Amino acid sequence: MTTPTVASTPALLTVKNLSFRYKQQVALREVNFEIDSGEIFGLLGPNGAGKTTTISCVAGLLGQYGGELAFRGSSFRPFESSGDRQHLGVVPQDLALYEDLTARENLEFFGGLVGLRAGDLGQAIQSALILAGLVERADDRVKTYSGGMKRRLNLAIGQLHRPDLLLLDEPTAGVDPQSRNHLFEALERLRQEGRTIVYTTHYMEEAQRLCDRIAIMDRGRVIAVGTASQLADQAGIPGADLERVFLELTGRSLRDG
Amino acid sequence: MSSLLATSIQVAKKDLRLYFRDRTGVILGFLLPIGLVGVFGFVNKMAFGSEGGLSRSTLWYVDEDESEKSQQFLASLRTANTLRLRPRSDDPAETRETLEDKLHDGEAHHCLIIPAGFGASLAGGKLPPLQMLRDPGRDLEGQMISIGLLQGLFAAAGTDSSHLLTARALQLAGLPEAWNDRIQQVSRGFQTSVELLFQEAEEADRRPPSQNQGAEPPEQSTSSGPDFLSIMNGLVPVDYTDFAPPERPKMLSYFLAQSVSGIGVMMLMFGLIACASMLIKEREDGTLPRLMVSPAPRDAYLWGKFLFALIIGAAQLVVLFAFGNLVFDVDVLRDPITLGVVSLAVLVAVTAFGMLVAAWASTIKQAEGVSTLVILTMSALGGAWYPIQTIDLPPLASLATHSTITYWAMTAYQGLFWHGKPWTDPVMLRSMAVLLGFAVVASIAAVWFYRRRYAGRRPA
Repeated sequence: MTTPTVASTPALLTVKNLSFRYKQQVALREVNFEIDSGEIFGLLGPNGAGKTTTISCVAGLLGQYGGELAFRGSSFRPFESSGDRQHLGVVPQDLALYEDLTARENLEFFGGLVGLRAGDLGQAIQSALILAGLVERADDRVKTYSGGMKRRLNLAIGQLHRPDLLLLDEPTAGVDPQSRNHLFEALERLRQEGRTIVYTTHYMEEAQRLCDRIAIMDRGRVIAVGTASQLADQAGIPGADLERVFLELTGRSLRDG
Repeated sequence: MSSLLATSIQVAKKDLRLYFRDRTGVILGFLLPIGLVGVFGFVNKMAFGSEGGLSRSTLWYVDEDESEKSQQFLASLRTANTLRLRPRSDDPAETRETLEDKLHDGEAHHCLIIPAGFGASLAGGKLPPLQMLRDPGRDLEGQMISIGLLQGLFAAAGTDSSHLLTARALQLAGLPEAWNDRIQQVSRGFQTSVELLFQEAEEADRRPPSQNQGAEPPEQSTSSGPDFLSIMNGLVPVDYTDFAPPERPKMLSYFLAQSVSGIGVMMLMFGLIACASMLIKEREDGTLPRLMVSPAPRDAYLWGKFLFALIIGAAQLVVLFAFGNLVFDVDVLRDPITLGVVSLAVLVAVTAFGMLVAAWASTIKQAEGVSTLVILTMSALGGAWYPIQTIDLPPLASLATHSTITYWAMTAYQGLFWHGKPWTDPVMLRSMAVLLGFAVVASIAAVWFYRRRYAGRRPA
């Protein structure tokens, strides 16, 4: 079931009937949702719900999906079109860093790939280092960083070119509370700048704290979309916290992907 | 102790399970030794198998005498077990000029001219002079050809051969030519003595063994004497004309030039495969998907790896040839333009091959297995370890050698280092064209595999 947001202007991203299968295994079954400009949209679901596959399709990593994507009302084909990918920033679940390069060198390299040059690149790198809290360690090799520092750099690289839509795939996995808090603060700053963010997680408190709206996914489908209180209403337990709503909607059986 | 054993067994079981999970890698791991044994057995059989452990040397000839004796001589040379006579009896005859061209192109290293008057000279009881056009650096082949010529002359001169050659040997050992008549007398006497000796031996064979006691042959003399090897090599009178590029270093030998080129090409392939495997590592480390979602063209990552491997390969070649130049006197900078052009063609072909392996393999284990197999096979078949060009291979084997990057790389480098050819020489142009052909085909295949495996056609 889906509840698309009604808006006078087209949504920033529209996902319509998105389906995908890995050989014999169906990963997504007609997924529908819309994301408006400036919001943090959460994709919440147990393991194997289809969150990462959804992000991969939107990011352009997977191409042979069914359904349609639209960006500001126009057809959006990031797998085929590098121009469409220019709108996106991606923070993958796995740390995607060159450990033998410094943070600055990583930022320079990935900044170059998204088309930043010379002065713009230098400015973007400095902003990214501030966002990640890595100014002091910018010229140290990444392999000397803690897990939290790497996570912060991972985020800083994804938003380096100020993309229209930032996709974060479980960015806090394996991070200590201090670094997680720093990441949240960084995301709050991005929200204040008006950035649009898709945030996948299976931590309820993260979704509740950060996301304006949340889509709960299970077994390859979106089973509910809305604010935390709207989701509680949809689950028939008004005022309940997100964890209870989530378990009510997805059930208590184990999910093994 | 039992805990140590149990844990060791557990670790081994886990590793075995992991090892066998990559089935392609496992197959390649087992295929590798089988493939290598097969290739080396095949090449050795082609090179030495049917010839009693000896490789034959190719000797080109032109018969300007066309007498019965010269035909007899050639027929005997054809049966010599150290020679491979060319042209074959059913091939068109060569001329002195065409043989000179072959020497220049590196297709031949020794060319025998049987001059007019050969038969008449032999019939007149004289050892006839022969002419040999040769590449002076091919000493090993030269020794084998001397043995073959000796065999041939024995057969052509018939019963006179022994005293003619004995007389020649004594002359070479130092007796003056003016003593030729005396030498002839002594050698004829020697021949008679030898014949008597054989008769005695045959009679002794027919007697019961008990009657032969005390008739031991005399012990071999251990005293030093003339240099018998050089005497033997000089028994057949040959006028040599050397064909070699004037700028070829005197200290350089054919096998040294071959080794520097061959080992260089082989190590280049190993090095570039390692570079290309970084593509797989990037995927395993998670950086490649991040590159794939950036707006940059996706094929650029493959070509970026190509460029990187090309630069590293060029640096490897510079170091290798500098070493060859300093230590082994391979004058690599004799023609820097040709060196650059040839090296670029070799680098492009080898790098494209490395990219193909990296794009095809899904794990580093697979990449290492298949590349080791292919590189060692190409090195053996293509002549990186020994000069395969000197072996007369049957058509199928010849096709196999010509289907390797190594063969064409070796042909181009030997053309430069040994034969002193410029890059505009047809042999060099052909080699480089084939190498570039390899590069184009391997690049197309690499892009296809890369797009299929890495650029999202299926989940990476």
